[in-house]
Amino acid sequence: MKVSLNWLKELVDLPAEIDSLCDLLTKAGVEVEGVETTGAAIDKVVIAQITEFTQHPNADRLSVCQVDDGSGQPRQIVCGAKNFKAGDKVPLALPGAVLPGDFKIKVGKLRGVTSEGMMCSGKELQLADDADGLLILPNDAPVGAPLETLYPADTVLEIEVTPNRPDLLSYTGIAREVATLLKQPFRAPTLTAAPERSGPEITLQATTLCPFYSARKISGVKVGPSPEWLVRKLEAAGLRAINNVVDVTNYVMLELGQPLHAFDVAKLNGGIVVREAKGGEELLALDGKSYRLQPGELVIADQSRPVALAGVMGGEESGVTETTTDLLLESAWFTPSQVRRTSRRLALSSDSSYRFERGVDPQGVLTASARAVELIVQLAGGQPEPQTAIAGELPASGGRVPLRLERCQLVLGKAVTWEEIEPILTGFGLQRDGEEWVVPSFRSDLSREIDLIEEVARVIGIDAIAPRDIARFSATSEADRRHDQGMALRRHLAGAGFQEARSLTLISEKAAAHFPLEAILRVRNPLSEDEVILRPSLLPGLFHALERNLRGGNADLRLFEVGRIFRADEREERSAVALLLTGAATPASWRDPRPRAADLFDLKAALAVVLNPLAREAITLEPTTHPALAVAVEIRHGGKAVGIAGQWQPARARELDATAPVLVAEIELDLFEATPRQARFRELPKFPAVTRDIALLADHTVAHGAVEAALHGAGEALLVGVELFDLFTDPSGEKIPKEKKSIAYALTYRSSERTLTAEEVGAAHERLKAHLKAELAVTFRE
Amino acid sequence: MEQQLEAYGAEALEGIAAAGDEAALEAVRIAYLGRSGKVSAVSEGMKGLSKEEKPRVGKKLNEVRTAITAAFDARKSELENERDAKALSGIDLSLPATPRFEGSLHPITQLLDRAISIFRQMGFALADGPDIETEWHCFDALNTPPDHPARNEGDTFYLPDGRLLRSQTSTVQIRTMETTPPPVRIIAPGGVYRRDEVDATHLAQFTQIEGLYVDEGVSLADLKGTIAFFFRELLGNDVQVRMRPHFFPFTEPSFEIDIKAAALGRGDRWLELAGCGMVDPAVFAQINGKRGDFAYDPEKYTGFAFGFGLDRLAMILSGVHDIRLFTENDTRFLSQYRA
Repeated sequence: MKVSLNWLKELVDLPAEIDSLCDLLTKAGVEVEGVETTGAAIDKVVIAQITEFTQHPNADRLSVCQVDDGSGQPRQIVCGAKNFKAGDKVPLALPGAVLPGDFKIKVGKLRGVTSEGMMCSGKELQLADDADGLLILPNDAPVGAPLETLYPADTVLEIEVTPNRPDLLSYTGIAREVATLLKQPFRAPTLTAAPERSGPEITLQATTLCPFYSARKISGVKVGPSPEWLVRKLEAAGLRAINNVVDVTNYVMLELGQPLHAFDVAKLNGGIVVREAKGGEELLALDGKSYRLQPGELVIADQSRPVALAGVMGGEESGVTETTTDLLLESAWFTPSQVRRTSRRLALSSDSSYRFERGVDPQGVLTASARAVELIVQLAGGQPEPQTAIAGELPASGGRVPLRLERCQLVLGKAVTWEEIEPILTGFGLQRDGEEWVVPSFRSDLSREIDLIEEVARVIGIDAIAPRDIARFSATSEADRRHDQGMALRRHLAGAGFQEARSLTLISEKAAAHFPLEAILRVRNPLSEDEVILRPSLLPGLFHALERNLRGGNADLRLFEVGRIFRADEREERSAVALLLTGAATPASWRDPRPRAADLFDLKAALAVVLNPLAREAITLEPTTHPALAVAVEIRHGGKAVGIAGQWQPARARELDATAPVLVAEIELDLFEATPRQARFRELPKFPAVTRDIALLADHTVAHGAVEAALHGAGEALLVGVELFDLFTDPSGEKIPKEKKSIAYALTYRSSERTLTAEEVGAAHERLKAHLKAELAVTFRE
Repeated sequence: MEQQLEAYGAEALEGIAAAGDEAALEAVRIAYLGRSGKVSAVSEGMKGLSKEEKPRVGKKLNEVRTAITAAFDARKSELENERDAKALSGIDLSLPATPRFEGSLHPITQLLDRAISIFRQMGFALADGPDIETEWHCFDALNTPPDHPARNEGDTFYLPDGRLLRSQTSTVQIRTMETTPPPVRIIAPGGVYRRDEVDATHLAQFTQIEGLYVDEGVSLADLKGTIAFFFRELLGNDVQVRMRPHFFPFTEPSFEIDIKAAALGRGDRWLELAGCGMVDPAVFAQINGKRGDFAYDPEKYTGFAFGFGLDRLAMILSGVHDIRLFTENDTRFLSQYRA
């Protein structure tokens, strides 16, 4: 809300320092979002009259003007504007004046002709945005007077009013607030409502949407322009002057917070009907647009058609114009939710709807009407009916709220006294009655003790409360353990050279294409087709990052993400970690200009980084199929599936111009315990180990895992370690047959009881060889 | 024989001193001490000596051997040192380090973790709640009027079943109080969703951190102390915190928190960063209704709550001008956050 300090000053004395006023308001929760100075408070700018002018002898575009500046001495001004005639009154900057932009006015010569000042445009004085020549002043402007008499200086505050404070959407409300904060008297306007009568001309059908409606007729008005003071006040608040009747309704709305509307009686077909709209009804509103109404929305109608969108905007056809002589002034209390609903549905917000949807003062409905009638009669003449026609009942307002001093102190965390509290609450219009406080009708937000405590807190100010830093201990929660697990995981991965990504949770249909439909959760009102599905996996986000990075020329990627994924099942939300690895296995450099590309075995190394700290039981990788992966394994923990790993379909990778395999994995974290594992110590070996190598020649189909399993499964007690140290194939078939591979292991033998003899080791080694030969189709290379 | 040994010894020492490299040195050793070396030959020849001569010659043999071995060892280590010095001299130490892939944590994660650490120092435990929420947890329980604009389809994402994507982490306040009687002292970081058009300063999804403390005797003084400590720890001792009264449906009194600090690099401008306030008794009433008890007796317990977004703060702290950089995961961006 825009608040002119010139107007506000009429209601409360203000401090000279505007900054301190703004600070005070902001600290009390009435945030000042902007301060604008208006008017023409510039020294040595006066109202002058152009008496005559001639063409400049040396310049086609200039005129030489003789002006009367009120001093009695004619003054010569050279001017480039063309929009004036002799007799016009204009602003004149005298030598010594400093215009906005630090533009100093001096006596000078323009093309050889003396100019003793400058006549100004509205823009040069910051009174207008455009400069269409000189600012032509009204005929009755007093020559020689400072321009400020026509354009008084003002400061306008832009105030953010929170939705709980509709009372601050008026000058009286703001003034009451300011007066209490400044501990200054509040000069409330004296208001008296006119006598009431039930009005046969009002048919109130929709009492839920409009509990109360009033109308007062004024006959014989003369509609015309508003006086300067009224125009100025409206403009300061950002409203445009229209005519004296409409302007008064807006003025009273600003002054008291009650929106009003005036109908031209001649354009109404019979009395007012307050009813719900019928399907298909339309209304041409004052903004020139036609709105189609929905059943259930409130309209003000005459006997034949809607004439106003109740509380939102009047109709174009029934409004007050220059030809209006008899008018009907509406003042009503509309149910806030219906005004809000209509306003939102039609995307039509007005000063009226803004106030009604927040709730206007029920006790102000009739006094505002009387105030407007008084001003209309004053400015436009006419004869008001002595009584206001009313229908319905005003909603209950006010009420009584208890307030306990000790409760107030408890919430504030500060000792306060009644001597401090009383002036605050009475300043806001409350009255003490024993233990209770009587709340004024305009403060519907005050209905509970805590509401009153809030008022006290606002005025006393948080600055006056000493901070306290004592609090309760908290036990570690499951969420704490999960957070720590997630952070440890992130740090492990970062230590292993992975970069953390964070992607959006909402993804496109296309990105989720590989997931079974029954797993998918969707939003029903997405912003765009890119953000429709709650990601069932972190992988689409990493693929998206891959695409972006490849486009940006970053081909060596090691990305991970820890985050939530969503599936339409009983668990619904779960946390997961995903990895994406592509490009060089190590960075290319002078040490190794052409490093090999990362492959599935680098992915296995990365999986170990994730899984080693998590796993309590054996991790196994079982070959499986996955629609997005060309090679896929299911990751199992103690036999239970916990994730997936593999290589992305090369065809898809090629589409993104990926030149190296794209390796990915995803593991669900919720399937592991959150508590960190407690390591168990094993005695260090006391006796030396003996290592013997073994080299096998086997078909390609004999897996390393099978050899390892056979060795461990041989029941050889002395065998403590199996390490693959060489794997060799020869496609040429020269060194070993093409269909064979050479595969070599270092086997470690140790006893925890004694140093082994060469004979013991040799015997164990031979037993293992025999076992391998029996179990697998292998031969030994000696 | 003794003279012979003396002579061999002298020869060997000369040879050792003259050996210019380890191979020459080893040749000298073999020539004298090797299995068929000159000294070893003398040792062989001792078999024929008399009882009287044997100890004397034996002693001499030992002396010569020891002297040769000592000289050999000394010369060997001399030569090794020379070789080491030669190998390590003239290395171009300005050559680049052997590179390795360097990992990094996302800037939002880093800020979130710092924030969490500070709140833990103050005795807050973490709490969690789902992203997919009921309207009751996101709005009703938080005292939001039925026709509040935030409930609109235009502002909040809904699922076909009527549930929604939480628009604030305040839902975790409700989740926690539903299951835990007071006292509670929690923080809840998490993702929230708003139907905002995406631009340089808005995403439809961002990260918030929420706090709640309910206990006997919790007051605005505790809230102020908590907020002030947090921002001092996060942004340095020069931070200024302004708590400006405001309105939220779920707290009363409510405040917006504005901060100023050199770390923000915004000069004298306040940064509006967070909302907070004392838990509205209406929220306790909702919780009690849902719990079916009176655990959150508003006469006995008071509490405060706060919440703020991390993305904007993360942007300002590291000078990021476009919030979308946080979700694009360009490694040229991520690499700038190696910690």
